[in-house]
Amino acid sequence: MDLQYASMHHDDIDNSVILCRACDLAVRRRALPSGVRALCPRCHTALYDTPFCSINGMLALCVSALALFLPANLFPVLELHFLGSVRTATVIQGAMAVMDLGYWVVGIAVLVAAVIGPGLLLLSILSQVLLVKMGLNPGWQRDLYKWLLRRHGLFSQLTMLEIYVISFLVSAFQLSDFSDIYFGVGTFSFTMLFLVTLFLQREYNIEHMWSRLND
Amino acid sequence: MTDNVQTTGKQMGLCLCPVCKKTNPEDAQTCSRCGAHNQARDYSSVQKSWALLITAAILLIPANVYPITTLVNQGKVTHDTIFSGIKHLVHSDMLPIAIIVFTASILVPWLKIIGLAIYLSAISFSLPVSKRRLMAGFHIIEWIGRWSMLDLFVISLTVALVNMGQLLDAKPAPAATAFALVILLTQLAAKVLDTRLLWDRLDLEDDKY
Ligand SMILES: [Zn+2]
Ligand SMILES: [Zn+2]
Repeated sequence: MDLQYASMHHDDIDNSVILCRACDLAVRRRALPSGVRALCPRCHTALYDTPFCSINGMLALCVSALALFLPANLFPVLELHFLGSVRTATVIQGAMAVMDLGYWVVGIAVLVAAVIGPGLLLLSILSQVLLVKMGLNPGWQRDLYKWLLRRHGLFSQLTMLEIYVISFLVSAFQLSDFSDIYFGVGTFSFTMLFLVTLFLQREYNIEHMWSRLND
Repeated sequence: MTDNVQTTGKQMGLCLCPVCKKTNPEDAQTCSRCGAHNQARDYSSVQKSWALLITAAILLIPANVYPITTLVNQGKVTHDTIFSGIKHLVHSDMLPIAIIVFTASILVPWLKIIGLAIYLSAISFSLPVSKRRLMAGFHIIEWIGRWSMLDLFVISLTVALVNMGQLLDAKPAPAATAFALVILLTQLAAKVLDTRLLWDRLDLEDDKY
């Protein structure tokens, strides 16, 4: 058995056998109908799906997400009306408010998950798409592309837009107990940013992006 | 060799790149595609994961015992722990919100810590637990873990909005930092663990019988 595989050429190995990242089972790669995901027969971890990853579609989604990014972060996501006075809060002001009171671990966590993470993710995907469009020439283009792909997992894990969207609903209900709460332009922009990013992440396929380096 | 025989990459002398998922020969030092360090198994990951998990479990106590927010309403100061905050929500007829907050702030962290502890014990002490069920649990833990951030987002928004001196003022309290660290450490504990180790154990037991 060892001999059989030792004599195999590298690329044969790469194309015919795939290893499960969770349990290391060797699985023979088969063609899949679209929209179907191959699961590991032993531990049910997702192994691969049909690459559905259109570069132009990702570019369009990426540009719209970045266009929404600034209003989502600069306009208030919640407005509070209390005894005639109006208070507003943007995402960044929320993070700064807890940091000012000495809770910088909390502030940084909020800032990273709601502002920095999504920003890095969008800029990274935009650069990757542009690099692919430029032809991924050997040299700095390929090096930068690899550098960005290596960090993609981290960037997408830091992005928690969906949780933030739920959190302003929860805050609004909690505060409605003693004051009137209004949603602002920021709320709309932030929700749209979340939706566009969600579609972008569905379109994006990391293994497909890596495989562009093979040819 | 037929497809039905379960062969691991290790037995074939192959190794999956942890970063780009390319299959490399086991003896290769670095991945041929992305240049990441190649390692057939990361045995030290169990210790690292245990260390992070135990720290998180210890921090879970102050996170639940100490108040997470301080509220001043017309001169009256109230401290709320995670649990008393949820009780308030139930009493003010906001049951759906209470369920969301309960899930994100109590259920998810506890499930995560207990789940990871069972998972790590199964590797460290070869516990007779169904490996498949453990793996399913692990995927759930990976996915829901981030939802604990909800409470921190709510606190930050509330603090920014509600600051009107003695009339109405909301501030975070010490448990907030402990809770943030619990989220961070449990996410890291799940991330560093090399889950292939659990399945190696399964193979060893199969070989015995
Ligand atoms: Zn598997
Ligand atoms: Zn690699």
